[in-house]
Amino acid sequence: MAKYVCSICGFVYDETEGIPEAGMAAGTKWDELPDDWVCPLCGAEKADFMKQGAPSTDHAEKPKTVHDASLDMQQLSPLEVSALCSNLARACEQQYKAEEADLFKELAGYFKSVSAPAKDPNFSQLLDLVEKDLEQDFPNAKAAASEVKDRGALRALTWSEKVTRILKSLLHRYQKEGDALLENTGVYVCTICGFIYIGDELPEVCPVCKVATWKFEKVEGR
Amino acid sequence: MSVTKKYAVRNIRLCTKDCLCLYVCPTGAADTENSIIDVEKCIGCGDCADACPSGAISLVPFEYPPQQPKTESVVSTLNTLLRSKAKQENIAAGLPGKLAKAIEKSNRIMAEDIIREAGYMLPQSHNTRQFLQSLLEQNPEGFPRETVEKLLTVLYDQKEDKQMKENKILDNLMEAFAGESQANRKYLAYAKQAEKEGKLNAAKLFRAAADAETLHAFKLLEVAGKIGSTADNLKDGITGETYEYKEMYPAFVKEAEAAGNKAAVMAYTFAMKAEEVHAKLYQEALENIDQTEEVFYYLCPVCGNIEKFVPDKCSICGIPGKKFIKY
Ligand SMILES: [Zn+2]
Ligand SMILES: [Zn+2]
Repeated sequence: MAKYVCSICGFVYDETEGIPEAGMAAGTKWDELPDDWVCPLCGAEKADFMKQGAPSTDHAEKPKTVHDASLDMQQLSPLEVSALCSNLARACEQQYKAEEADLFKELAGYFKSVSAPAKDPNFSQLLDLVEKDLEQDFPNAKAAASEVKDRGALRALTWSEKVTRILKSLLHRYQKEGDALLENTGVYVCTICGFIYIGDELPEVCPVCKVATWKFEKVEGR
Repeated sequence: MSVTKKYAVRNIRLCTKDCLCLYVCPTGAADTENSIIDVEKCIGCGDCADACPSGAISLVPFEYPPQQPKTESVVSTLNTLLRSKAKQENIAAGLPGKLAKAIEKSNRIMAEDIIREAGYMLPQSHNTRQFLQSLLEQNPEGFPRETVEKLLTVLYDQKEDKQMKENKILDNLMEAFAGESQANRKYLAYAKQAEKEGKLNAAKLFRAAADAETLHAFKLLEVAGKIGSTADNLKDGITGETYEYKEMYPAFVKEAEAAGNKAAVMAYTFAMKAEEVHAKLYQEALENIDQTEEVFYYLCPVCGNIEKFVPDKCSICGIPGKKFIKY
């Protein structure tokens, strides 16, 4: 009997105990869990679990490709400029600078409004980008940040990589289940890290960034 | 030891209007119509934050320490992710349904966090300022130029302005302190002269005026924040006296000698030697700052030499020891 740990939120699946209330009797082996089983706490996929006590399979973090683009303002798309402005609005709010925060929000709104809509958007494009982030761009960025011990960057990368794994899990589930996934259930976004929660009973804290879940925002349909 | 200057802010959403802050605030900064603590009045003592039962008041620094510098490779790899997250936000924005809307939001939040760590954490930073200025270079239709200009003003000009005003105030205080201090010594010298001439009423007035200038000088020095703990003040005394005997007076002596002004040479030399003694005594006092056993000092009324015992004669100017004044 073994235990498996969720790499996103730390939830432990214990084969000895199973999860009887969810129909997994005590003694249910990890391999017997359905392939589309997800972490009951955060929604991570089976692939994001690690066997407890097994040597860490953390990918050897070495950069694969070297990009030489720096944050050149002329190169930023309007949507990226918008994100820069809404980030600065948050920073002003944290410093209790309400007037400045409003001004940055106004700029963020303007740049979002002039951003050209995506051509023929669909969910599989999202999945492609999420996979590319996880396979290539997160490992690259984490390697660059660890090399210089940039703790701030590592913190942000850890959170957003976990959230991206959750997005991947959700996109897979949505491919299979379609809109049934969202029927009669709440959808929430953590306003601190971006974690998405589907369900009605919110955990006490965000599984990714550990902020209290009153910071979550309920998403209404459109 | 460095202390960052802070001021108190109230989070109105948390405030339960118990108003203990009004009661404890020594300057009345918390007592405002709109519940926003008056930055001008706040002295950053933190009494309000300690007293508030709902944790609605926190102290925030005037100046934030700069963000850790970002290396080229960190910025460029974060930039790649930023690009991808913005793309995903854009795609999700074009798709229907709650999940797409959640994904759009989620990607925006990640993009914000990533860009923050690419060197844009502080609105006060050089990076942010450059970014805002770069926005002014382009001017597409409908672009809210005034918003950017306003941000540049409130974030940077006001701050520089305030700093400049504060510096000017400090300069003025120290200039006034120097003036009042000089007037005090000058009037005392005039009083002595008046006494010599037998003009006792004038002498009295000079002494009273000299005392008045002393009061002004003390107040000015206090307001300028230049009076520290006794240990700090002893250190300051050592620095001042050392500068005078090692650098200032030797140069003056040379100039006076070259000009053949013997009276000036003598005045400088006495002062120089006395300052050296003062510096040593300050150093001793600093080393024994917690000593409670009483110490006496004896001042030579001619040259300003100070001894810890009555000498036969002054080691600097040679007058008999019995003329020394005991402290
Ligand atoms: Zn989990
Ligand atoms: Zn979170």
